[in-house]
Amino acid sequence: MDQRPAIREFLKDLLATKGDSAQFSDGSSLLLSGRLQSLDAVEIVVFLEEKFGVDFADVGFAQDKIDSVDAIISLLSSSRN
Amino acid sequence: MSVTTTPADLAATGAPRPFRLRLIPPLETYPAVVSFAQTVPGKIALLLLFGAGLKFALPEWKELTLFLALITVFPQHRRLLVTLGMLQWTFLLPLEKTAFSLGLLFPLLMKAGSCLIGGVLFWCAVRFRRSLFGRRPILVLLVGYAAFAYVASVLVGTFRGAALLWSFSGIFAFYLWFIAYALLDRDSKDRDSFGLQLGTFRPFWGSTDTPYPKGSSYLRRIEARSPEQLAVVQLKGLKLLAWALILKEVFSAFQWLIYKQLAIPTFATAFEQSVHRAPYPWFVCWTSLVAAFLEAVLSLSVTGHEIIACCRMAGFAALRNTYRPLQSRTIAEFWNRYYYYFKELLVDVFFYPAFMRYFKKRPKMRLFFATIAAASFGNAYYHFFSEPGTIATLGFWKSMVAFQPYMFYCLVLGVAIGISQLRKRRPIPTGWVRGKLVPSLVVALFYCLLHVFADTSRSYPIHEHFRFLAHLFALRS
Repeated sequence: MDQRPAIREFLKDLLATKGDSAQFSDGSSLLLSGRLQSLDAVEIVVFLEEKFGVDFADVGFAQDKIDSVDAIISLLSSSRN
Repeated sequence: MSVTTTPADLAATGAPRPFRLRLIPPLETYPAVVSFAQTVPGKIALLLLFGAGLKFALPEWKELTLFLALITVFPQHRRLLVTLGMLQWTFLLPLEKTAFSLGLLFPLLMKAGSCLIGGVLFWCAVRFRRSLFGRRPILVLLVGYAAFAYVASVLVGTFRGAALLWSFSGIFAFYLWFIAYALLDRDSKDRDSFGLQLGTFRPFWGSTDTPYPKGSSYLRRIEARSPEQLAVVQLKGLKLLAWALILKEVFSAFQWLIYKQLAIPTFATAFEQSVHRAPYPWFVCWTSLVAAFLEAVLSLSVTGHEIIACCRMAGFAALRNTYRPLQSRTIAEFWNRYYYYFKELLVDVFFYPAFMRYFKKRPKMRLFFATIAAASFGNAYYHFFSEPGTIATLGFWKSMVAFQPYMFYCLVLGVAIGISQLRKRRPIPTGWVRGKLVPSLVVALFYCLLHVFADTSRSYPIHEHFRFLAHLFALRS
């Protein structure tokens, strides 16, 4: 299953709740660039836990692991291995 | 890489905005200026302007400008130069500026020892990833440091070397949070070597005990990767320095007006009078409190802007430390806007680990508990150990008892931010008065009142703080 569209859609909605409708690419930094804040990282974590069963207590957490669509895809593939 | 640096800049990347009068023009949005800033004369002009501004901000402006020039000329060696800058600022400048003495040598050796321990810890965290330290390095670091400080405080005065041990615990505290960020970077695929991590241990562009701007991992993400990005970031750095200098003047004018012309007592004086049972009238105390709160906002803005301006000039698109805090509509938002890098430190070191581990089945409890872990516990831990002199003077346990006012401050802050975050999903009222003015005033009032307890000096017991608070509402004479 391609997870990319679901992740993109979620991040797009999250940005929209903050009034940010600017485009972003799969490699665009969202957290470390300041477009999203720490509390938004929490939303992303909960989304990844519920939707993809990621357990951050196991894989370890750092903001750069969920900073972009590409980073999240990489995290998902490494958490499966 | 994005070179976005403030929410306002972000908004600028969306739909066209109406014209807005600005004190400092948005230079980085003018293509001609950005192009010019990429040329040799443009770089020289930028550096000269920045250096001239720094002269009014920092005593080491010459050395700093020289280093920024080096980094501008050799952007491919930026991170290495950041480390060299750190080494010069930490070890060489003190030797250059002061006559050599043993009194100077010991702190330098202790600083070197602290950095060395940081390096060993970093190596261990990377090398022994499955060990307890490898899995929970921050927990081990903080518990270990607290235990060390406790033992050192107990031993002070018992034998000659104990004073050195205590001094070392104080010096190590300077580097504690920088080492924590290095340890957090252990898992990154593209983590930097310790040599580059070292550059972020109280970097040459300035810092407090809070790392500005975070650690090595953050620097990697925000580094300018092309001449155009560098030009944009440096122009933003120049703008921020100009804004810091303006705020500095506003700050001086504010102090002159309040304390000299209007003869309002400082908050410290008003508080002391309350302790001596001869308080000023309640409305004077209110004025002192509001003035102290505004002073704190202005002072932090100036310091943070100066540091971040230098960091940007070095080619890193760091976010501002303080960004329009008085416009905050929620308590949580103010905390984010007032002291961004301190909040980020507590979030990275305390909030996330708690959030990832506890109360996973209870979302509200999970968020609230993690917030308390950061804003209350983490905040108290940070400030308790940031003033080791007091611990040595009073002793560990007495010092902890005397720390009650600030612990109360942290508890109220944590609970308030926790509630604020849980309420966040409510729709925001529309209209300027109900939507912006009233919420901003309520938030400012909350932080103003909380400021009564923002005392880390451990000079007065907590009931004196409550007495002052009651006096503000004319509840006590």
